[in-house]
Amino acid sequence: MKSEPRKDALAKITGKCRFLDDYSCENMLHGYLLYATIDCGKIVNISFPNDYDLAEFTIVQTADIPGENIVPEPVSDQPFLADKAVCHYGQVIMGIAHADLQTLKKFISAIEVEYEEEEAIIDVHSCLDDKANQSGECMHISHTDRNKEKTDNLKHIEDVFYTQHQEQAYLEPQGMLAEYLPQSSTMKITGTMQCPFFVKSAVQMIMGKAVKNVIVETSEGIGGAFGGKEDFPNLLAGITALLAYKSQQPVKIVLERSDDILITTKRHPSRVAIVSYTNMLTGKLQAVNIDYRLDAGAYLTLSPVVLARGILHAGGGYCLPRCEISGYMHKSNTPPNGAFRGFGAPQALFAIEAHLDNIGKIIGKSPLEMRLANILRLHDTMPSSQSMKEDHLYECLQKVIEISDYKNKRLEFEQYNQNNEIKKGIGLALALHGGGYTGNGEKVLQSKVKLRLEKNGEVQIFVANVEMGQGAHTTLAQMVNEELDIPLEKVNVQIPNTSLTPNSGPTVASRTIYIVGTLLQKLAAQIKKEINYESLEEYIRQHQQLFPQEFERSFIPDPEDSFDEKTNEGTAYHDFSWAACVLEIEYDPLQYKIKVKKCWNVLDIGRVINYNIALGQVYGGITQALGWALTEDIYKKGYPRSKGFTDYTLPTTEDMPEFQVEFIHTDSAIAKGLGEIPMDYPAPAVRNAFLQATGIMINDLPLSPERIMKAINRSTL
Amino acid sequence: MIELKFTLNNQPQTLQVPANMRLLEILRDQLHLTGTKEGCSVGECGACTVLMNKKAVCSCLMLACQVQNAEIETIEYAAEDEMLKTLQDSFLKTGAVQCGFCTPGMIMSAKALLLQTLQPSNDQIKKALEGNLCRCTGYVQIIEAVQLAAKTLAERA
Ligand code: FES
Ligand code: FES
Repeated sequence: MKSEPRKDALAKITGKCRFLDDYSCENMLHGYLLYATIDCGKIVNISFPNDYDLAEFTIVQTADIPGENIVPEPVSDQPFLADKAVCHYGQVIMGIAHADLQTLKKFISAIEVEYEEEEAIIDVHSCLDDKANQSGECMHISHTDRNKEKTDNLKHIEDVFYTQHQEQAYLEPQGMLAEYLPQSSTMKITGTMQCPFFVKSAVQMIMGKAVKNVIVETSEGIGGAFGGKEDFPNLLAGITALLAYKSQQPVKIVLERSDDILITTKRHPSRVAIVSYTNMLTGKLQAVNIDYRLDAGAYLTLSPVVLARGILHAGGGYCLPRCEISGYMHKSNTPPNGAFRGFGAPQALFAIEAHLDNIGKIIGKSPLEMRLANILRLHDTMPSSQSMKEDHLYECLQKVIEISDYKNKRLEFEQYNQNNEIKKGIGLALALHGGGYTGNGEKVLQSKVKLRLEKNGEVQIFVANVEMGQGAHTTLAQMVNEELDIPLEKVNVQIPNTSLTPNSGPTVASRTIYIVGTLLQKLAAQIKKEINYESLEEYIRQHQQLFPQEFERSFIPDPEDSFDEKTNEGTAYHDFSWAACVLEIEYDPLQYKIKVKKCWNVLDIGRVINYNIALGQVYGGITQALGWALTEDIYKKGYPRSKGFTDYTLPTTEDMPEFQVEFIHTDSAIAKGLGEIPMDYPAPAVRNAFLQATGIMINDLPLSPERIMKAINRSTL
Repeated sequence: MIELKFTLNNQPQTLQVPANMRLLEILRDQLHLTGTKEGCSVGECGACTVLMNKKAVCSCLMLACQVQNAEIETIEYAAEDEMLKTLQDSFLKTGAVQCGFCTPGMIMSAKALLLQTLQPSNDQIKKALEGNLCRCTGYVQIIEAVQLAAKTLAERA
């Protein structure tokens, strides 16, 4: 496994890499947003302060929109700008621009908006408990394996699990720069985003026929994204473009941190109810019914896609002979929830993994016995009826048990806890994560990539996938340089730009290396075969007239893959990544506080292209998951919503456990998805470790001292 | 407006700025040194960390009047400074950089620590970097980078 240094690192360690806020251009105005400060209601009146000259400001409202006031999304139900009513805090009412940022912000804070407030739904229980609140379509999977015998003596167990919002908390707030060029009727957008082609559609939508060309380019550096820069940039780019169009000057908007937390998308809160029937002797789950609900927020936007992934991961890494899974979306009055690393899977896996431990505790089986009795093995079928083509999940489990010394530790902790105030616990969790778009998504997307061989022997990669910290541009370059057999320095990924790069799809769904990288690798192999060179450099030197030369390739789906979107049956994902985790905690009952001590991880992500980058993804993903599991909560009961990193507590260096990470099958032909799977399993592992430490089943996240205290008081009543 | 005199990256500076202008804006907007990043502007993230008289401070919390006559060091000084250069190399080697937005601040905080000791313990490193948030890396490779830099510098010394 190689660990080539990252190509982007030099610019980043010297501070030379330009993030969006480092961009400026001549005559540039600063833009900002006036947004709703209530959760739901009608706008009665808006009054501007008298002591400003309104002519100095560019103000855009719904009436200024030449195109359509709809953000294009899988469900296009969200307006760019609110008009008469608002249905969530942070809903944008106006875009405003001025040459001086301080003046602009003072002006905006002096604008008075009068509302007629209506009742709002914020709390996860009021949103998700009543099935009647569902909106949009319900999704369903029904699976019965007829070969499996029905047995008697089944234990019926029901659980309901809840998870909360999570803020992406990328360190760089979102920003957008729009430049309007009237001569060519072009709107040029530069910004922090994962999906340049989505942003392009959004700007085309809001500008309609008013501009002919829309060009979208990402900023040189993107300071983290995690899904948070997947959908919100569509709205932000639309409004920034509108301001640039109206003012005929470049406009830059960079969100303040508090606003970024208050108004952008978050991880969907969830409620997952599981009813299961388990063979008491073997621990085998015979029948399972899962009701999986997501709080979509005020608009549905991309929630159906999250829901689809959620229900397809709801059975976890387990073989369930009879199962019914239903998925529902409910609306609330928070900003629409959106993409966040894991995309519905962390919520699903938290529930099934915790449920398995609950069953084990009730019927007297250890967590390991429960997993061994139910784990998906080679040729087993998943709820979608997809058959297992490898036994790697089982291998991950075996290995993690071995390297963590799980069995001994568990016994040791049981003893220890009898005589000690501080309690120790060890938790186990499995995960699977489907690579790429769900079902037919990749087939429809038909990603395209391009390589250009330059006269000087360099190779340029053109893809729409962004470098947002995950190391994609280095890893993609490695996939090409290895295949072409040329030095890595000669291969570079161009900054994604919709007028130069083909549409290789959005930077989401752990698909950049798995789908786009594989495509590039195949294209490189094809070039090598077609040109048939000994040394590419030599060949180019001798055939200068043929270069620069461009090569393209499109994604060709496996003809064997088929997926029925109505029944959710078939190949849900061509490849899954697998993981098993053991995690050790110490719990201090005086402070109701969990400290994660150690975390062992075994993952199958297929071929590992850059070991350091892959490790970084695992460490970072686990850390985010631990934040979600333990502290991160925007709408804490009894507190005002969070708007900074003082009341929204992210893990720091002091919270880090010791990690051990092992990859298996690293010499596979295919590099599978990596980015999301480390987010999927740590939360249930912590929760299950807490169960061992205390014997208390907590089915809600986060496991904050407040929640633990409440659960303990409840259980001792 | 005040006349602000201070040393920036070993060079004397004189500027006319409002007394309440923040050091972060002086660096980024007045002097166009954009290596120092703004992640929160209220002292919660550490992305804007610079050295002031050899101590790590959040430049978003420092006002011009507090900087009067001070010695300020930013990531741009790495072009000349051995300790910063060594830290940069180590960040590169251990894979401590992901999105890079926290990186300049991290490196400055790490330098403040290494000025105190070239044999920092793991706990000392964690403590020194506690105020620098990183959402990408899980800190593991950052801590390794600081250890590596300390080792390299100690060997050289
Ligand atoms: S910008 Fe100064 S601490 Fe965040
Ligand atoms: S590398 Fe992205 S915040 Fe640290």
